[in-house]
Amino acid sequence: MKETFVRFSLRQRVEHTLVMSLFIILAVTGFPQKFSDAGWARGVLRLMGGVEIARGLHRFAGIAFAMLAVGHLGTAIVLVATGKSRLSMIPGRKDFADAIKTLRYYLGASDEQASFDRFDYRQKFEYWGIIMGGLLMVATGLILYFPLIVTRLFPGVVIPLAKVAHSNEGLMAFLVVLTWHIYNAHLNPDVFPFDFTIFTGKISRHRMETEHPLELQRLTGDAPPREDPKKGA
Amino acid sequence: MRASSAAPLVFVLAVMATGALAQDAVEKEVGSCLECHGEPDFTTQLDSGETVSLTVDKKMILASVHGKGLRCTDCHAGMGEIPHPERKVKDASEFHAGFRDTCKPCHFDKYALSLDGVHAKQLAKGNEAAPGCVDCHGSHDVSPSSEPRTRISDTCAACHPDVADTYMNSVHGKALAEGNPDVPVCIDCHRAHDISDPRVTSWLVKTPELCARCHTDEAKMKKYGLSTNVVQSYLSDFHGVTARTSRARGVDTQGGARVTALCIDCHGVHDITATDAANSPVLRANLVKTCRKCHPTASESFPDAWLSHYEPSLEKAPLVYGVKVFYVVFIPFIIGGLVLQVMLHLWRVVVNR
Repeated sequence: MKETFVRFSLRQRVEHTLVMSLFIILAVTGFPQKFSDAGWARGVLRLMGGVEIARGLHRFAGIAFAMLAVGHLGTAIVLVATGKSRLSMIPGRKDFADAIKTLRYYLGASDEQASFDRFDYRQKFEYWGIIMGGLLMVATGLILYFPLIVTRLFPGVVIPLAKVAHSNEGLMAFLVVLTWHIYNAHLNPDVFPFDFTIFTGKISRHRMETEHPLELQRLTGDAPPREDPKKGA
Repeated sequence: MRASSAAPLVFVLAVMATGALAQDAVEKEVGSCLECHGEPDFTTQLDSGETVSLTVDKKMILASVHGKGLRCTDCHAGMGEIPHPERKVKDASEFHAGFRDTCKPCHFDKYALSLDGVHAKQLAKGNEAAPGCVDCHGSHDVSPSSEPRTRISDTCAACHPDVADTYMNSVHGKALAEGNPDVPVCIDCHRAHDISDPRVTSWLVKTPELCARCHTDEAKMKKYGLSTNVVQSYLSDFHGVTARTSRARGVDTQGGARVTALCIDCHGVHDITATDAANSPVLRANLVKTCRKCHPTASESFPDAWLSHYEPSLEKAPLVYGVKVFYVVFIPFIIGGLVLQVMLHLWRVVVNR
């Protein structure tokens, strides 16, 4: 019997599925607007039945994304405050040390690998990227959604500012997902072709030993297994 | 095969011969027809009791573009016999309608285009007042319709006097009156024969493409110190994206439902002014009023959301320019860094094997 650990709760798995779906809808309805100069973009908009439909879907998905973000941050604050969750996503000094250690290992300057706790520095980077980028997208998206209200309180230039930021931040988020997330969840030889953990919530003992030894030690009280660094991930 | 290759030559020779003979024939035939039709009060009475004039001015017809090439019977087919065969014509309107297709055999291209035009469609709906060829071009006095160019707007003005007046007071109309060859006249936007109904949504939403024909012409705009970036800057902003990708582009509903702000909604249509004219609706002082046409709750600072066709730069909208530049640097920095780390990881995996 393969021993597995529960890594993600049902709530976290549902959150991921929702973020993933909304991200795809927002990208599919957003980029044809950003690149409306291009033939492919106009083709996509025609398929959707015109830019009006694309904008409607985009705003609907955006509102849902905003509510999801508020729900997530609210839940996180409550869980931490009531002691039901640890501050495992907060980056610390160890994360910077881990990053340097890992880069030295990749470059072949050292054979020592960093040992990670529940989330490694790459996962924290991606998480905070989504949180900060997401909040920026929500804020600028709302400005673009309600320009008449916004310009009653702020100068008119906030509208083109929000547009430039929204459009570029969206492009960057898309490119990060395309390169970084697709690599880490799919193309990385350690998980290829598909890391199912975020969907099943389960992770094998072997992967806990190699990827999250410090967490494993905390959970079981075992000493982290000494791995031959050459064999590890 | 042989016959068909010789055909063009035969045709050309025939045309040349006709040309030489035509002059005499025309003069002769015009002369004989005008023995009656040259009489100043030559009329006929129709069944309805209406009287129509049948008088033709000889000088007028010889001075017309057809005066040197067409005989009377080329247009008035079947009238070669004297006395003319009797015709049953109910009233004046039917009398004139009988000539509607007269130009068709020679000017078939224009005739075919005109069938797509709003005037032919009005006629098909039973509007007898809708103009046919001769109403714009004249009949016995046909002459080049765009010489001088002001003649074009005068022609339309005969039936559309109000809009023609407005146009003549616009920046385009005033320049036309001064002999400017670059400004659009009625038919440059509305077309001459295949005139579209300008109230149809799908046509309206494409009007920026009409303005673009001249306003993206580098040489033409340079003469007047106008920017050619106006169309691109419009198209890349919210209203322009809508105009270019709206579902309304395929919707042929009448009534001109406004989809988004088009060039004409801010600048005006027939009453368009220079952008720095005191009464220009796009002058900053007048702009809120213009925005409020569609956004009644617009505040005083709302118009500043639009960068007035300017690209963000250090001089114009430096903040927006700054954010733009930030991302131009930041996106490659982040993505490059992440891709580099992916490559390094893969490299280490390969080395480990």
